[in-house]
Amino acid sequence: MISDEALMLEFQGGSHPAFEQLFARYRGPLYGFFRRRLNGDLRAEDLTQETFVAVIRASSQYEQRALFRTYLYGIAMNLLAAERRKLAKDSPPDEQAPEPATREAPDSVLWIRQALEKLDESEREILMLREYERLSYAEIAYLQSLPVNTVRSRLFRARMALKGHLEPERKTPETAASEARENAGLAHAEGEAI
Amino acid sequence: MNKIIHPIEPEELMAYLDGELTADQATATAAHLGECTGCQGVVADLRIVSQNLKTWKVELPKSATPPAIATALTENRPAPRNVSPAQRQSWREVLGQHWPTVAWAGTAAAVLLVVFGAVRFIGSDANNVFSQVGSQMENSGSDRERLAASLRPPQAAPVNGRNFEQFAQLSPGVAQPKQSAPGQDQTANGPMIIRTADLSLITKEFDKARANLEAILKRHRGYVGELKVGGTTGSGRSLAATLRVPADQLDATLTEIKTLGRVESESQNGQDVTSQYVDLQARLTNARNTEERLTDLLRNRTGKLSDVLEVERELDRVRGEIEQMEAERKTMASQVSFATLNATIREDYKAQLQVVPPSTSTRLSNAAVDGYRSMVDGVVDLALFLLSNGPSLLLWGAILFMPARVVWKKVRRSFAA
Repeated sequence: MISDEALMLEFQGGSHPAFEQLFARYRGPLYGFFRRRLNGDLRAEDLTQETFVAVIRASSQYEQRALFRTYLYGIAMNLLAAERRKLAKDSPPDEQAPEPATREAPDSVLWIRQALEKLDESEREILMLREYERLSYAEIAYLQSLPVNTVRSRLFRARMALKGHLEPERKTPETAASEARENAGLAHAEGEAI
Repeated sequence: MNKIIHPIEPEELMAYLDGELTADQATATAAHLGECTGCQGVVADLRIVSQNLKTWKVELPKSATPPAIATALTENRPAPRNVSPAQRQSWREVLGQHWPTVAWAGTAAAVLLVVFGAVRFIGSDANNVFSQVGSQMENSGSDRERLAASLRPPQAAPVNGRNFEQFAQLSPGVAQPKQSAPGQDQTANGPMIIRTADLSLITKEFDKARANLEAILKRHRGYVGELKVGGTTGSGRSLAATLRVPADQLDATLTEIKTLGRVESESQNGQDVTSQYVDLQARLTNARNTEERLTDLLRNRTGKLSDVLEVERELDRVRGEIEQMEAERKTMASQVSFATLNATIREDYKAQLQVVPPSTSTRLSNAAVDGYRSMVDGVVDLALFLLSNGPSLLLWGAILFMPARVVWKKVRRSFAA
């Protein structure tokens, strides 16, 4: 399979089929990126189109400094930030009620959404970039302008917190991460003692 | 129970699961996981979290390319990468050291071609060359004209100042290129000419001429577009008809109709509509392509509702244009395939003397009827006069009564004195 970067260079040279391949590869993931972060599937689709249009228009300036995927999600994140600013300006936060991303959203999806909303914004973004966009730590660090170690620690905190939110009856989010560390240390200590 | 520092941090376990560790680190972590139940629990928790997050799936949009992207692709076609000057090779480098020889050989070949061409020009008919140059100059207009010109067959040389068409029109025996049926690409068969003819006849046998006219029309596969017969018995009748006959049958039809009487006037006209037809077909093709694109856009609509409505409005407009152009094209094709013949036939009428007078009883009866009709007409006229002028007369009578009475009295007095 031809790499994304090779396809982008081909498109830069005037090959439309190369762009069509890139479009086929990333249309769904990009739509999911916007859909999970915004209300309304039409707006998500519009922003997906705008991202690709931006790629087309900036294709002459494209340089292979990073992965194409990072480049693409960088554009998407800028568009998302602009959209969020616009939404915050146009309507009060109370009116931005969450909307299920699927037409027939099962309870589990609502449950996940609610748990994600309880996370810190930065941690949630890192977690979603990792889980849904499947970006590496380095890519997330590049997009978020953070050190890789910070990304890793925040990602871990987010996962543990989410675990706590998904099991509220058993654990609190604050204790989930420390509990995991303690469990690991305790088990190891017990192993040493034995 | 002693608590010691754990060799593998939980974050490293997470990084191991995410494939973010180096090969050595991953091997060490895997080995540790095999024997540490606590780390296994952390890994299990992390996996559960990931599995839970994966339940949030998003419906993928349709696979067609959205219009905004198609437009952007068309508008921002990336230019092919420029070849760096270092990569360019001059023609001298390509030809190497032999470039002077090649240049001389090329020059000699060009001179030979010019000389050969000049000899052929002098030896051939200069008129033909000039006519070819002239036709090329004529065809050097717009692309549309060039297309129309390329569809025309080569024209025969004029004979006595008339071209083939004029000659054929005046010579019924000469067959003309057969016109294709409406709806086909007629331009491929030759020029598209709308032929019309006007013929005016006068005949002594009007009824027979009319019957023969219909027979002639039937024989030449024509039909009557419009027919009017006027006049009453005792005066000259006339027939005005718009006949449609196949274009290749027009001359034969005219010749036969002329035998029905004496020709008073005749005229023929041919209008070349080849370029209009080609233009119309090109516009029709473009409009159909536009319709197809709009239909695709509508089928794969992904934009806002307002955009969809805009596309539907545009589609309606384009479809209207297509229908209009299609009708125009059919009309034009029909006019080319079927010539129009406006025929007028007048009866050469001679008034006849009434030899036998009507009988006395008929005359009496007619007189009685006329008298009765006259009486009724008088009464009706009087009633109508009174109804229409009575109010005015009454008014003026009332106004003029007193002055007239005074005058009348003065006159009476003067007479009495």
